[in-house]
Amino acid sequence: MSVIISIVAEMLHLALMVLAPLVVAGIMDWLDARLAGREGLPILLPWRNLVRLSRKTAVVPESASRVLSLAPAISLGTTFTAAALVPSFTLGMALAPLADGLVVASLLSMARVAGSLGALDTGTAASGVAAQHGSALAVLAEPALLLFVFSLALMGGSFNLDLIIGQQREGMLLPAAASAVALTSLLALVFAEASDTSAGLDLDYSGIDLAVSHATVWLRRLVWIDLIGALFLPIGMAAPDEGLMQWGTGLLCWVAKLAIAVICLCCSRTLLGRVARRDMADLAGIAVLLALLAAIMVLASEGTV
Amino acid sequence: MTNPILLFLSTVTVALLLVGVLSGFVPRAVAGFATIGLSGLGVLLCLLSLVSGAATNVLAIPIGPPGRSLQLALDPIAAYFLLVVFLGGTAVAAGACRTGQAATGKLKADTSRADTSRAGTAAAGTSGAGTSRELMAIPLCLAGFSTVLLASDAVTLVVGLTLASATYSLLDDAAPLAHALPPSSATKRQAIRSPIAVPAVLLLLIALCLLAPFGSASNFDGIHAVPVDPNRTTAAVGLAIVGGLSLLRHIRSGHHWTHDAFMAGAAIPCVLYLLVRLVLDLPGVLQAWWGFALLLAGGTIAVANGWQAARHPELDGSVACLTRRQAGLAVIGLGLSLIARSADLPDAASFGLAASLLLTIGSGVAGTLASLAAHALGRGAGSYRLARLGGLVQSMPIASVSLAASLLALSALPPGVGFAALWLLFQAILSAPRTGGLVFQLPLGLTAAALALSSALATAASVRLIGIAILSRPRSVRGSAAREVGSGLPAILLTLSGFSILLGLLPGLVLKALADPVVRALIGTGLGARAGWATLSTSAASPGYAALPLLALLALTIASVILIARRFRNESRIAGVWNEGLAPSPNMPFGDPVTQSAGAGFVPALPAIGWSTEGAPAAEPAAAGPRASAVPFPSLRNALMRRLTPAGQSPSSRLPATIIGLWAIVLAFSALLLVLSLFDASGIPG
Repeated sequence: MSVIISIVAEMLHLALMVLAPLVVAGIMDWLDARLAGREGLPILLPWRNLVRLSRKTAVVPESASRVLSLAPAISLGTTFTAAALVPSFTLGMALAPLADGLVVASLLSMARVAGSLGALDTGTAASGVAAQHGSALAVLAEPALLLFVFSLALMGGSFNLDLIIGQQREGMLLPAAASAVALTSLLALVFAEASDTSAGLDLDYSGIDLAVSHATVWLRRLVWIDLIGALFLPIGMAAPDEGLMQWGTGLLCWVAKLAIAVICLCCSRTLLGRVARRDMADLAGIAVLLALLAAIMVLASEGTV
Repeated sequence: MTNPILLFLSTVTVALLLVGVLSGFVPRAVAGFATIGLSGLGVLLCLLSLVSGAATNVLAIPIGPPGRSLQLALDPIAAYFLLVVFLGGTAVAAGACRTGQAATGKLKADTSRADTSRAGTAAAGTSGAGTSRELMAIPLCLAGFSTVLLASDAVTLVVGLTLASATYSLLDDAAPLAHALPPSSATKRQAIRSPIAVPAVLLLLIALCLLAPFGSASNFDGIHAVPVDPNRTTAAVGLAIVGGLSLLRHIRSGHHWTHDAFMAGAAIPCVLYLLVRLVLDLPGVLQAWWGFALLLAGGTIAVANGWQAARHPELDGSVACLTRRQAGLAVIGLGLSLIARSADLPDAASFGLAASLLLTIGSGVAGTLASLAAHALGRGAGSYRLARLGGLVQSMPIASVSLAASLLALSALPPGVGFAALWLLFQAILSAPRTGGLVFQLPLGLTAAALALSSALATAASVRLIGIAILSRPRSVRGSAAREVGSGLPAILLTLSGFSILLGLLPGLVLKALADPVVRALIGTGLGARAGWATLSTSAASPGYAALPLLALLALTIASVILIARRFRNESRIAGVWNEGLAPSPNMPFGDPVTQSAGAGFVPALPAIGWSTEGAPAAEPAAAGPRASAVPFPSLRNALMRRLTPAGQSPSSRLPATIIGLWAIVLAFSALLLVLSLFDASGIPG
């Protein structure tokens, strides 16, 4: 019975991961416009854009290989796999045993790698420069994410996300200062990511490939928000094998967390502006140092003289 | 009674020696196939020894002074590393046979067309000689490495090391094939050191003599039976670490594929074996500081080689750096295992050791494959420089796919073997002892940072290599005329690719079947439930890393997206080469190569340290002179840039002045660490 419940929970979660990115993208664009004093675009415009792009004829460079057409699909598939592993409204989903923090971080890296390879395959200057810049930024951003996961694992005793979240629900992710520093590190990464949507990797995509690329960016943003909400605010999340009432509560809490995250992100972008591309490396470097500091704080607090 | 497997392995070693010596007198095909057969037999024998769990056996060879003899022994440690060496040797020997046949075939085709050009004449002169020298050096080198791994006393070890290093340098001098590149540049020749790594061999010999009790022969049985006092052990281990790492440094890449492939498949596993034997196995008492020394060395090797790989201007050089990075990670694993063993934590020790063993076999297979594929691509395209490659996936699909498969294993992306090893290393840090205060915990945190940084650098290097060399458009006319490798080499590349992918998908099975005896021999307990056939985990009940289910999930999601996209995809319109809006040049039918990335800019530039006269404006030459001598920091930055910049490249320029803020944060961070170290866990100044 618990296997069936976990599978149903996973199916519900996957359905959320398919529908929510479009709605979140539309709401964020609308909220950005309203905060800037403009009328705002329809919330379902991202969905209509996807449909419109899927009807267009794609233009493919003569010299491109199959990688150009496969890269967006690999990127979206990998990001969707990461989204499937990060819990949203309940723990104990069917894929929980695979939900390793290092795996999730590496899957997000794989998605970026696929996008970079697609950009390099086009052979154009702008896409090549975008791939170079993305790679240089990732040399700092990916260690920050790995160290963040490592510091949480030090506090939770395991790399498995369900176990870490379970410890957090019982208030056992100590020391709290290290937890706060780790959260700050992740927020710095998320802020940099939100400022640089597709990093220019999809400049030469068109048609359905461009639609898939946009969907990847929206889904990736949702994965970041889910990660922060699950790891640091697991309020209302249903425990494994709990019933529909707890699922309902978990869903409501998840929607509330999502709304708060969207509002905070839009407000910060309006007040602080988007991070300039030349400053993203600095922001990623700060994230690395903060994540390393969090890890060392945990090690220092556990080490006895 | 002597173990028959040890007898057969000793016979294989002697036979390889004979094949190498007699290779000049027998047909090249006979020498080549004999080498392949013998090293393949070696693989099977080692597999049999590991799977059957044969006990340690010693074979005394009556060569030497009266009362003394050369001793060979086969235990699980030697069998594992010997398996990797023979596997790499089989691939290299097979590649040499296939490449030699390809060169001979081309030579015959050229001469049949009465090609009297200088290239044709050169082909006649160099192709045959180069192939002969390779087919002599390869079995001799294998015999040397085999002797090192089977040695059970200091003299045999030194004999094997001398033979291996001398014949390894012969691979450097092997003339390039006629249809390959010009001879190495002067810069490359400087990288080729003395034939025999004399200092390293001497250090290892002294270390073994220090470990042996007074009045007894320096054989491993005697060392195990009577441990010496801790001071001698400490000195011996220190010398062994320095000797092993200097041997690793002695192994440099050249522009010859056999040299690079042997580095990955045989030389690096042999060096790692020496570290395992002399630091983990032979010393009776273990001390944690040895582990910290290995962490420092391994972290430095991993990060420095990852950085060089992401910036190296040549394909084969970048691949060689990625292979050496794996060696650095393996050294980190040994260090973590040592620290845990010294604190009597066998489970934690097994993680570090398992990671090192997985990295050894993974880099042995993937490194050999990457070297073979890189050299095949370079030969086919007529250049190794990334700025002259491109579009090779269209003209050389098999070599390109093989390179991509090897880079998946050498980087840290799932489900590659590199990611499985990274997971084990992080688990080893997680399980490491939490004693000694911040002074002992800080190296563990910095090791985690080194692992994370080197993984990111390896990923950047892999993206750069695949994106520049394999994808996009050709950057030179010669590159556009590349042809796929033939004459059996594709089969070798695809076989190694299959092994490499299987290692990543079944790391638990590989560890359970092959590495468990080694772990049991060194630590006392096996891996147990931590290594299942499909998973790696911390215990039987806890979740861990499962490569096969992850691959299935990835395949399902990606296939779903592809099918949905195909459902809505209209027929694409093929556009010509986009030249950023400029009119295409009639002389460049493939588009201007300058509009494509040339491989620079994939890693961030190093920040300036203080102020520097480098890049000082030309209008103030007078101010630059005396100021340069008064400023201490530029020499540090310049030394760092020279160390990390590959030969032939100029150091990167400074970042804008906003980096001062970042350095202020670094200084504040360092001050905070210093303050924290002054307080103990209860907040009382100590």
